[in-house]
Amino acid sequence: MSSIQWPSPKSISTPAIESAGQLVRAARARISRRALRWARKRQGRDATVANLHSRRIYILPTGIGMVYALMTFTMLLGSMNYNNNLSFGLTFLLASLGFVAMHHCQRNLVGLEVSFAGADPVFAGQSAEFRIAVTNHSRSRRHHLEIYAAEASSDIADLGPGESRVFRLAIPTRQRGYVELPRFGIRTLFPFELFRAWAWLHMDLRCLVYPRPAGDPPAPPPSRSSRGHRQNDARGEEDFAGLRRFHAGDSPRHVAWKAYARSGELLSKRFSGADTSSQWLDFALTPGDDAEARLSVLTTWVVDADRLQRDYGLRLPGTEFPPTHGDAHRHRCLEALALFDAAALSDVA
Amino acid sequence: MWLKKRPRSGTDGSLLGSLPWTLLALGVAIAPHLPYLPPWITLIFIACAGVRMQIERRRWRLPGAWIRLSLALLCFIGVLGTYETISGVGPGSALLTVMAALKLLETRRRRDQFVLLFLSVFLIMSSLLREQYVWSLPYLIVGVLVTMTAWLQMSVSEGSNVKLALRDSLRLLTYALPLTIAMWLFFPRIATPFWAVPIDTGSGVTGLSDEMSPGDISSLSQSDAVAFRVRFDGAVPAPQDRYWRGLVLHRFNGRTWSGNEPTIGIRDNWPVEYLGSPVDYEVTMEPTRRHWVFALDVPYEWSLDMTYMGRQQQLARTQPVDQRIVYRAVSYTDFRLEPEMNRFSREYHLRLPDANNPRTRELAGNLHAQATDDRAYVDAVMRMFNEEQFYYTLQPPALGRNSVDEFLFRTRRGFCEHYASAFSVMMRAAGIPSRVVLGYQGGELNPLGNYLIVRQSDAHAWTEVWLEGDGWSRVDPTSAVAPERIETGMSAARFDGIGESWGLSAPWRVMHRLTLAWDMINAKWNEWVLAYGPENQRSFMQWLGMDDPDFRKMLLSLIAIVATLLGLVTAILAWRYRPPRRDPAFRLYRRFIRRTGVEPARGEPPLAFLERLSQERPSLAPQAAEVTRLYLETRYGGTSGTGIERLRDAVGRSFGTAVP
Repeated sequence: MSSIQWPSPKSISTPAIESAGQLVRAARARISRRALRWARKRQGRDATVANLHSRRIYILPTGIGMVYALMTFTMLLGSMNYNNNLSFGLTFLLASLGFVAMHHCQRNLVGLEVSFAGADPVFAGQSAEFRIAVTNHSRSRRHHLEIYAAEASSDIADLGPGESRVFRLAIPTRQRGYVELPRFGIRTLFPFELFRAWAWLHMDLRCLVYPRPAGDPPAPPPSRSSRGHRQNDARGEEDFAGLRRFHAGDSPRHVAWKAYARSGELLSKRFSGADTSSQWLDFALTPGDDAEARLSVLTTWVVDADRLQRDYGLRLPGTEFPPTHGDAHRHRCLEALALFDAAALSDVA
Repeated sequence: MWLKKRPRSGTDGSLLGSLPWTLLALGVAIAPHLPYLPPWITLIFIACAGVRMQIERRRWRLPGAWIRLSLALLCFIGVLGTYETISGVGPGSALLTVMAALKLLETRRRRDQFVLLFLSVFLIMSSLLREQYVWSLPYLIVGVLVTMTAWLQMSVSEGSNVKLALRDSLRLLTYALPLTIAMWLFFPRIATPFWAVPIDTGSGVTGLSDEMSPGDISSLSQSDAVAFRVRFDGAVPAPQDRYWRGLVLHRFNGRTWSGNEPTIGIRDNWPVEYLGSPVDYEVTMEPTRRHWVFALDVPYEWSLDMTYMGRQQQLARTQPVDQRIVYRAVSYTDFRLEPEMNRFSREYHLRLPDANNPRTRELAGNLHAQATDDRAYVDAVMRMFNEEQFYYTLQPPALGRNSVDEFLFRTRRGFCEHYASAFSVMMRAAGIPSRVVLGYQGGELNPLGNYLIVRQSDAHAWTEVWLEGDGWSRVDPTSAVAPERIETGMSAARFDGIGESWGLSAPWRVMHRLTLAWDMINAKWNEWVLAYGPENQRSFMQWLGMDDPDFRKMLLSLIAIVATLLGLVTAILAWRYRPPRRDPAFRLYRRFIRRTGVEPARGEPPLAFLERLSQERPSLAPQAAEVTRLYLETRYGGTSGTGIERLRDAVGRSFGTAVP
């Protein structure tokens, strides 16, 4: 199971520190790790809809903010030395702008509603896209918002009054299983980039990662005809054979929308051509060097069979999905492949 | 190092939106320096700005490091060659301008633009060090506004919305201004600078010199520049009493009168009897870079630190007046100065160089012999100036070695210095102790602000003679030659006299009035803004009710006020970011639901909720059905205007109470 996590304490403390830059970086990493742990403990786990209360918004000056402060201080010394009331005025105007900017920066996040808007399963190697919806329930514009995590950040966008927007965090994946997003943040540098305000959210999000499809898979096992007429191709949707009650997993294309409009009942069309052929994809009969390779091959087969609208069944040690088709079936099969416990298999073997 | 070859790529045009604004901010910052900058620096800046803009537009490459380095070196040498120093406001702002121009040529990313905006702030600051006019305040606000807009413009990622950035920076500025004013008022001012830095204000300060050599080709300062302004608590003294004592010259070497360095006297020893009623007033004095402080003849009390009275009743500061200062003072125009004189002092004030001005001595001897007493002799000399052919002119001919002889017997043309010097020598030659006083005389009353404007052209020299019983008495020989100089003052004489004689009276008067109005604005500006120093701050704090204000108290109140104002900013922001007002129908519906005590699930539609409510609270079912129906009608039907009223009634009825 791969997971996106902040560096663990071990990985930082062990390497020999060679330069001052490294020393600083190590110290910063240690501080930020402490801060993250502290914030997690303080805030607890968030629901998938969170309102940003002012207590959970943190703010620190940026590098530019530090330079700005230094400049203002220098100007204060100059004004005091020359006893020049106008340059005192300029100095204090800049200082006040800094203070006001700090309040604006923090306020830019307060009261935003951040919610998880889903993450579709991906194949290992693709980027898992976490969708984070941010809603501005206020009368003023929110400026330059950005959603970020350790390895990714979203586009920067403004939110008008009452506006809502979905930010996308693309997290790279490497292995099948779940890619976890234990923490992400929302931040802003508005107005002058003198301060960075941010909030951490711990929604314990995760996204399913299907196995990586095999690059050059062997041919799938042959289909077995159950009724004998194999001249039909696998589309098997030729002959309309009546309606039946809609079941979860039926393709939306098969829903009798006209009937639904009339009666209000969801019905699925049945075709006599369905179930023309079926195919068992069996882990035990799949070629491959190791479990992962076989899972990859199986993944490719499932994807191909689904694309061809064939009925297919999947047999894994301990689990079996009887042949059928449809998006729900495809997902069930790929999920089983994604979460298959290869370690347990080797124990048995 | 920074000369290391970086891969040079073309610019990508990403700064195209923000660069013009950065350039505008720099332009605004450089504008007040233009009259002082050597033209080549201005040209370099304009060239760099144009080239940089073109580079961004055409996606060209930025010039290489060697070109930039050699340009920087050349410019530095150029600045050094022009100013022969790099410290001070002039060379400093020239260097800043050059830096901004060269930085433009290596501005590749946003980080570089920040450097440019920091430079623009420093340029604004240095222009304020150079000059502090009334319009400098609006200028600095506009300068900061443009800089901040450019700053915001840099952060805008998608497209450039200048209007939004301008509005945002205006709002931020509005919030910041009260804070700025509070900090400005309460930040404790200190009197002494940390380190002495020469302020080259560009123009020389006109003022009185420490010596007086009538006969050198020195035409009297004709400058209209203000020396100081005076506001009187009571009535303004009569013109003949408006003598502003500066320094006293008592040494004469035959050509030049000079005095002592400013000394610190001890009050107990001052042999002065103050007569009549005191005159209270406040002086706002322009910097002179000299030690002398002016007060109405003779000063009694003054509120200026490090300022002491010398033995001859002149005020001097231990530190040169290189900033505008404000002080209150009390003077007595009627006084008896040193009624008793010791022998040493008497001999001292009678000294004349032996082999000098023989004809003057002879004349003095003759006149004194004819006079009955010293007073009659003084009158005789004054009569001589008045009745014989002496002329008052600001462009007198130069005088030779025996300047007094030449003046009295040959040229007979001069201004106050010539007459004061000649008169004083005549007195000494006749055995009457005398000395010359330098200061200002007169001043123009500004009826708009009821204060006196004393200009450099009002500078004056007069004499004091010691008479038995009266002590040192002021005698102004100029008044014998040109009485109008004393009675109406220089500027008034010039405006009115010339204006009327040219038949231009009306326009001249309008002009004059406008000048006076402008002067009043400047006077207020100087008094309230520029001269706000330790003393003014102290009295302002006392006026606010702070007793015995000190550094600590002011700093604490500053912190308290800033915290309060920031709390106010927080409150305003919270109000600005408040949730939008809900639909009135929805609010009535919410009120009904709250009273039922059943909480709707998140996203539960009204009809579904009605169903659940009817099951959980069957007694409420009919009212709930009514309210829900009316709510849905009002909210989504949107036709009848009375729906809201009926909903209000229904909600009220459902619990037997009226809903306001």
